[in-house]
Amino acid sequence: MLENVPILSLLLIVPFVGAMTTLLLGTSPKASKYLALVFSGITLVLSVLLLFNFSLSSTEAFQFRENYVWIQQLGISYNLAVDGISLPMVFLSALLVFLSILFSWDVEERTRTYMGLMLILEVGVLGVFMALDYFIFYVFWEVVLIPMYFLIAIWGGPSRAYASIKFFIYTHIASLVMLLGIFALYFTASPLLGSPSFGMEAIASVAGSFGHDLALIVFSALLFGFIVKMPMVPFHTWLPDAHVQAPTAGSVLLAGLLLKMGSYGVIRVCITTFNDLSHEATIMVALAVIGVVSIIYGAFACLAQTDLKKMVAYSSISHMGIVLLGIATMTELGLAAAVFQMFSHGLITAVLFMTCGMFQHKAGTREIPLLGGLAPKMPIVATIMMIGFMASLGLPGLVGFIAEFSVFTATYNIFDLWVLIPVMSVAITAAYYIWAMQRTIFGDLTTKIDTKHIHDSYWFETVPLAVLIGLIALFGIFPSLLMDIILPSVAPLAAVI
Amino acid sequence: MAIDYSALYPVMVMVVFAAALPAIHAVAKSSRVLAGVSLVGIFVTMALELMYIVSGEYPAAIGGASVELLRLDVFAALFALVFLAVAFYVVLASARYVEKDRHQAEYFSLILLATAGMMVVAMAVDLITLFAGLEVASISSFALTAFRKKDKRGAEAGAKYYVIGGLSSAIALYGISLLYGITGTTNIAGINTVLAGMGSELDIALLLAIGLLIAGFGFKVALVPFHMWAPDVYEGAPDPIAGLLAAGSKKMGMVLLFKVFLVGLIAIKADWQLLAGVLAVLTMTVGNVIAVQQTNIKRMLAYSSVGQAGYMIIALAVATPYAVEGSIFHIITHAFMKGGAFMIVAALAYVALGENIANYKGLAKRAPFLAISMTLLLFALAGIPPLSGFVSKFVLFSAAIDASQIADQNWMFWLAIAAILNSALSLYYYVRVIKYMYVDEGSTKDRIKVPWSMTAAVAICVIATIVIGVWPDPVIDVCEQAARALFAG
Repeated sequence: MLENVPILSLLLIVPFVGAMTTLLLGTSPKASKYLALVFSGITLVLSVLLLFNFSLSSTEAFQFRENYVWIQQLGISYNLAVDGISLPMVFLSALLVFLSILFSWDVEERTRTYMGLMLILEVGVLGVFMALDYFIFYVFWEVVLIPMYFLIAIWGGPSRAYASIKFFIYTHIASLVMLLGIFALYFTASPLLGSPSFGMEAIASVAGSFGHDLALIVFSALLFGFIVKMPMVPFHTWLPDAHVQAPTAGSVLLAGLLLKMGSYGVIRVCITTFNDLSHEATIMVALAVIGVVSIIYGAFACLAQTDLKKMVAYSSISHMGIVLLGIATMTELGLAAAVFQMFSHGLITAVLFMTCGMFQHKAGTREIPLLGGLAPKMPIVATIMMIGFMASLGLPGLVGFIAEFSVFTATYNIFDLWVLIPVMSVAITAAYYIWAMQRTIFGDLTTKIDTKHIHDSYWFETVPLAVLIGLIALFGIFPSLLMDIILPSVAPLAAVI
Repeated sequence: MAIDYSALYPVMVMVVFAAALPAIHAVAKSSRVLAGVSLVGIFVTMALELMYIVSGEYPAAIGGASVELLRLDVFAALFALVFLAVAFYVVLASARYVEKDRHQAEYFSLILLATAGMMVVAMAVDLITLFAGLEVASISSFALTAFRKKDKRGAEAGAKYYVIGGLSSAIALYGISLLYGITGTTNIAGINTVLAGMGSELDIALLLAIGLLIAGFGFKVALVPFHMWAPDVYEGAPDPIAGLLAAGSKKMGMVLLFKVFLVGLIAIKADWQLLAGVLAVLTMTVGNVIAVQQTNIKRMLAYSSVGQAGYMIIALAVATPYAVEGSIFHIITHAFMKGGAFMIVAALAYVALGENIANYKGLAKRAPFLAISMTLLLFALAGIPPLSGFVSKFVLFSAAIDASQIADQNWMFWLAIAAILNSALSLYYYVRVIKYMYVDEGSTKDRIKVPWSMTAAVAICVIATIVIGVWPDPVIDVCEQAARALFAG
């Protein structure tokens, strides 16, 4: 059905045209919102079409490929395609941007710019997940920074100027280190290939004949670029600032999509290109240690937070650590679980940040000590929060459980009983979530803030959350819907040659 | 034998228009008419140069086969186009900027003459013609800087520029005379042949000549430590002229360095490569670090230009065709990015908005087009894709990595590292301006109206910045040809 439709290009063109249309024609807040919703809606429909037309029996590693020479002299191509690793991310991106736009229905300040930036962000994120050429990969990677910078800097909290510039420069420096790695790949691979090429597959095909030391240096440079984005301890300090200051939709996209770009990069670039190196025990242990430190550090940091949103931000660090741990196993199950966890964290964290946003909105504060007993005042918000927290701490039947359980199983297979260390984090996670719930929605109604005007969620808040929770349950009960897509694509990476 | 002067036709067109302007001024006393006539002249010349590039056929060199003086090749034509494009938007922005000044005809006339001088430099294959072109361009720029002679800052800037410019020309000329003394020729390629035949013995006079040439031309490009004049002059000069100096004159300085070092002294490159590398790192670092502290937007842009010159000098240190290709490419993109930023400053100065960065607070609401243009240009300068500055930095920096793979040249890797760190640093002060424009509230929300000609000048730069960024293929192609033409001597 989609044989002759350049659907991947459309996935970039539609939000881009949408952004331009919104910026030009969004003369009133209402017009901007509807324009943005329609264009992101079309993108979502396209991504769903992509999902249903993706062939599980295909022998090709990548599908829907579009490949045109762009800058001949340097060997740069406009090369897009999706496989089982990128497809869930493409769908997640289109979904979260659409829901975030809906959730932002009450943004009245400079709505046109806000909506335009969301759509530009969507172009960048989708481009990262579909690019198979290092040059355009890097272009999209950097394009993402600009709208996110503005989203934080203009619509953010009180210290938004500091947080936005820190986010921008911190992640930009990481990108530049990654760029050095890309240069090194390019100049080392081009003579081996006989012609200059930035193609990911072409470079990966000859990367095995790089010297071991060079491979290690390039691998490290690329990995650094990605783990700052994920972010892994100790390069995580930009994240809490950016999240606390960002507007709700900004946080949803930051945690839901931008962090995934980092872990996606580790899989798509680092371990695909340097597959032999990644199977070495030292590298696997190094990745596992970075992951586990982030899991534990993030979980303990959550316990100490009084700001609900900051707690959720630190929980992201912890949960992204699980992704890296899954990657570190270099087994089929571990890698598939890592991708699954990326998807599941994207859904769950969106629910959590939206909940935080509603608390801010309705109670006027996110400070946990000031809240309490709010469940009767806003039963829907409280219910959603409870489901979100339960999903995040890994309640069986919901999507987070499958991902974490698979990662821990894979970890046990490779690292034996060391798995007990990250597993311990589950207890801490449960502790901080349940404790936070106890203090915010249960117990006696707080007297520290004015609770008279607190009301339940609006329709444009409930609908996106209901959709997300529906998907959390769906993929929790039927994980094979997604696993069947992911597994064939990670299998070649796990195989020891 | 009759001499074929057709290689000089583009320059002649410029000179004829420059000479005609005072006469036209006697009839039509309007800065807009003068600007219009100048634009026609520039446009005709651009068309001529473009015709050469597209057809790939160039007129015969002027001078005999053994003693060529001027040669119009793809390198010369490409740089002529850069200079002409800069002159085009400078004149466009000046149309209203000088409407209340006296001596308007001379103003436009001098811009055309300065451009003609730069074009001669790009064509020169002999040190004498090179120097002649340099002086035509320099003397015109001195006068333009001090154009508003009653303005104290302008007069001071003009005097300073004149003294330093004269001194640096003298230093360079001394270097040229030493080279002539050593090799017995002023032909640039000829010098190289003689030096190549002399073997690798280190001649103290030769080292002195290299030092004098780097210092003399280094002043023109504002290389650290010869950069002190640049911010003062840019700040004091009329705003469009600051754009001409940053985007035009400076690029001419790069051409001087390319011609003398990469053609004339390439045989002994081992003697000066490391020095050029050190100067490159020093220039980019000092420029960017000082730019961070600036509160005046013109000074900030001036120091950022110093930093950008440091990137371009990488090509000198690396001395490969690929690096020069990147450097030429970056010169082209920089001409639009930095020139456009200066044009925005000029447009805002025209409506009496101050030059302090803090005056730009809330600009997004007051002048949405200028604010978004400034944002795009600054992002491009910082090297954020998909804008032109990213692609040109990409080629330039990667050239250093490429060259560092050769044994003995591993240190060039650090050029790329330094350049990349500097790029990250520069993002900080660029984003600060953007933050002022978009995040902070200004004291007033009145809309700012600027003349359409200034808007057009800015629009040209922004469009070029976006188009080259998204579709760099043809430009890279011409840059490669130009770099090869340069190395072919």
